[in-house]
Amino acid sequence: VSEMTSRQRVLTALQHRQPDRVPIILGVSNATGLKVKPYRRLATMLGHAPSERYLYEWPELGTAAPDEQTLVRLGSDVRGVLDREPASVLEANANRPPHSDYINSWGSGATEVRPGEWFPTVCPMAAATTVAEIEDYPWPDMDDPTRVAHVAAEAAALAADGGYAIMATPWLLFPLERAFAMQGMDTFLMNLALYPDFAEALLWKIESLCKTLMGHFLEALGDNVDIIKIGDDLGTQESLLMSPAMYRSILKPVHADYVDFIRQRTGAALFFHTDGDVFPLIDDFVEMGVDILNPIQTSAGKMANLAELKSRWGDQLTFCGAIDTHRILPTGTPEEVRDEVRRVIEILGPGGGYMVSSVHTVMDDVPPENILAMVDAVDEFGKYPIGSPR
Amino acid sequence: VTDKATLLDRLYTAVFDGDAAGAVAVAKEGLAAGIAPTELLFEAMIPALEEVGRRFETGEVFLPEMLIAARAMQAVMDLIRPLIVQAGVEKIGTVVIGTVAGDIHDVGKKLVIVMLEGAGFEVIDLGINVPGDTFVEAIRQHRPDVVGMSAFLTTTLPELARNIELIEAAGLRDRVKILIGGAPVTQLTVEQAGADGFAPDASAAVRLTKNVMGVSSADDS
Repeated sequence: VSEMTSRQRVLTALQHRQPDRVPIILGVSNATGLKVKPYRRLATMLGHAPSERYLYEWPELGTAAPDEQTLVRLGSDVRGVLDREPASVLEANANRPPHSDYINSWGSGATEVRPGEWFPTVCPMAAATTVAEIEDYPWPDMDDPTRVAHVAAEAAALAADGGYAIMATPWLLFPLERAFAMQGMDTFLMNLALYPDFAEALLWKIESLCKTLMGHFLEALGDNVDIIKIGDDLGTQESLLMSPAMYRSILKPVHADYVDFIRQRTGAALFFHTDGDVFPLIDDFVEMGVDILNPIQTSAGKMANLAELKSRWGDQLTFCGAIDTHRILPTGTPEEVRDEVRRVIEILGPGGGYMVSSVHTVMDDVPPENILAMVDAVDEFGKYPIGSPR
Repeated sequence: VTDKATLLDRLYTAVFDGDAAGAVAVAKEGLAAGIAPTELLFEAMIPALEEVGRRFETGEVFLPEMLIAARAMQAVMDLIRPLIVQAGVEKIGTVVIGTVAGDIHDVGKKLVIVMLEGAGFEVIDLGINVPGDTFVEAIRQHRPDVVGMSAFLTTTLPELARNIELIEAAGLRDRVKILIGGAPVTQLTVEQAGADGFAPDASAAVRLTKNVMGVSSADDS
C-alpha cells in the first residue's frame, strides 16, 4: 500500500478496510489527550518549547493543547476542533480570585484539591428531586454565539490543509455525566432508583441543551468534520453503573435520540466514549448507530477480552484506545509498552477498524519514554498487513 | 412472636428496597414494641444489606440499588446507634478509613463504610483528600484494628505506599492491618505498597476486614 495521508488512513480504517498502518489518535480531545505535565515533559524531551495552551482554553481541566510538532512526532492522524465556554464565563473565571472554585456556565464547578489539580465538587442541583426544580433551574444559554464563533474558521483551515482527519468534541455534551456534575455522582445514581421520573426528566432536559449546542456546532463545522465525539461513562471496574434494564428504559432512549439528532445533521462518524466494563451494552451501542467505541478499558472486566470484542463487533465498530493507563503506560518499561501495543494491534488491527490511543487521558505518572514507545510501536507493528513477517 | 417476625421481615424489605423513611418507621415501631435494637440490626438490617451486597457481586443489583439500600441502613443506624452504644454491645473492631491526598473519589468508600458498620464495626471516616499525617494521627487517637485507604487514580496510588511508610516511621505499622481499594488497585499494588490486602467491592471488603482480624464471616460458616 502506498503512503496515505493521515485523513485517508483514518477514513479507510473507519470503513473497516486496511490502510497503510493503524491510525493514531492522541492529543486532540480530553479522553485521548495528555495532561499538561506529561505533555511538557515530552515536548521538552523532544527539544521544543511546550505550548502554553489548554484544551477548551480551560486551565482547570489541565489537559494540554499540544504544539503541532509534538502531534507530528506522536504520529497523531487526527486534529481536533472544540467549543468553548461563553466568553463571559471564560472572562469571569480568568478574573476570579486565584485558587477559588471554577464555576462553568451550567453552574457546576471544580475545587483545587492540590496546586493545579481540579476536581468536580460543586454540584448546584445536589438537593433537587422534583421536576419543578428542573424547570426553575437557571440553565445555560446554549445559543450564546461565543461558544462556537471560532469553530467554522478552525475547521475550514484544517479541511483546506486536508492532511488530517478532523474530530469535533464539544465539551461534555454527555447527558449522564452532566447529571452527575449537577447532582453529584452518588446522588444522581440514587435518584435514578428513588425518583426515576425526576431522573429521566433531568436527563432529557440536559439532552435538549446538548442538542441545541451540538446543532450550532455542527452548523459551524459544515462538511469539515470526519468524527463527532460524544459519550457517557457507563461502566465500573467490574460491571455497569446501572443495570442493563435501567439503561435501556431510562438512558438509552436519551442517547438514541441524541445520536439520531447528530446523524440527521452530519455524515461524520459517531465516536462514543464510555469508561469501564461496558461489555453487556455493546449491542445497544451498535443498535444506536455508534461507529467508534472508546476507550476500550482493558483493565475493566470483560473489556480485557479483545479477541471477543473483535470477533463479535469488529465488523460494526471501530475500536479506539485499548492501551492500558492503569498499569502499562504509567509503570511499565518502554519494552513492556512496545509488547502491549504489538499485542493489541495484532488482535484489533486486522481488517482495519482500530485506532491506537491511550485508555483515557495520559496522566502525570506516564513517562515521556513510554508515550514515545507507544507510538513507535505503532510504526513498528502497525503496518499492514498486520503480523506478517518483515 | 409472629408480630416480631413480621416486623423484622418488613424492616428487611424496607432496607433491601432502599426505602429509608419506611425503614426508619418500621424500626421505630419495633423499638416501641420492645424489640432490642441489636435484634433489628442483626436479624433484619444486616441480612438485608448482605443480600444486596451478594447480588451486587453477582451482577443482579447495581450501584443505584446498592446506594439506596446503604442509605436506608444508614438512616436506621442513625436512630439505633446511640441505643446500641448505650446497651454496651461489643463491637467487632474499629476501622479508620479515608480517601488519600489528592483524590476526592468516595462513592465506593461510602458503601464500604455502611457495610462495615452494618457488620458491627465502628468506622471512623476521615473523608476525602486525607493527608498521610492525618491517618497516623487517627491511628494514635482511635487505636483501630484496621486502616482502610482508597485511591481511585493511578496518580494517587503512590500515596498508599507513602502513607504506609509514614505509619511505619511512626512505629504504628504492627498495630494495624492496612487494607486498600479503588479502581486501579490490584494485588500488585498491595505488594508494592506493603499493605495487607485489597478488595474489589464493598461486600468483599467486609469479608477481608473480618479475615485479617481473624473473625469468621457468616458466609464462611
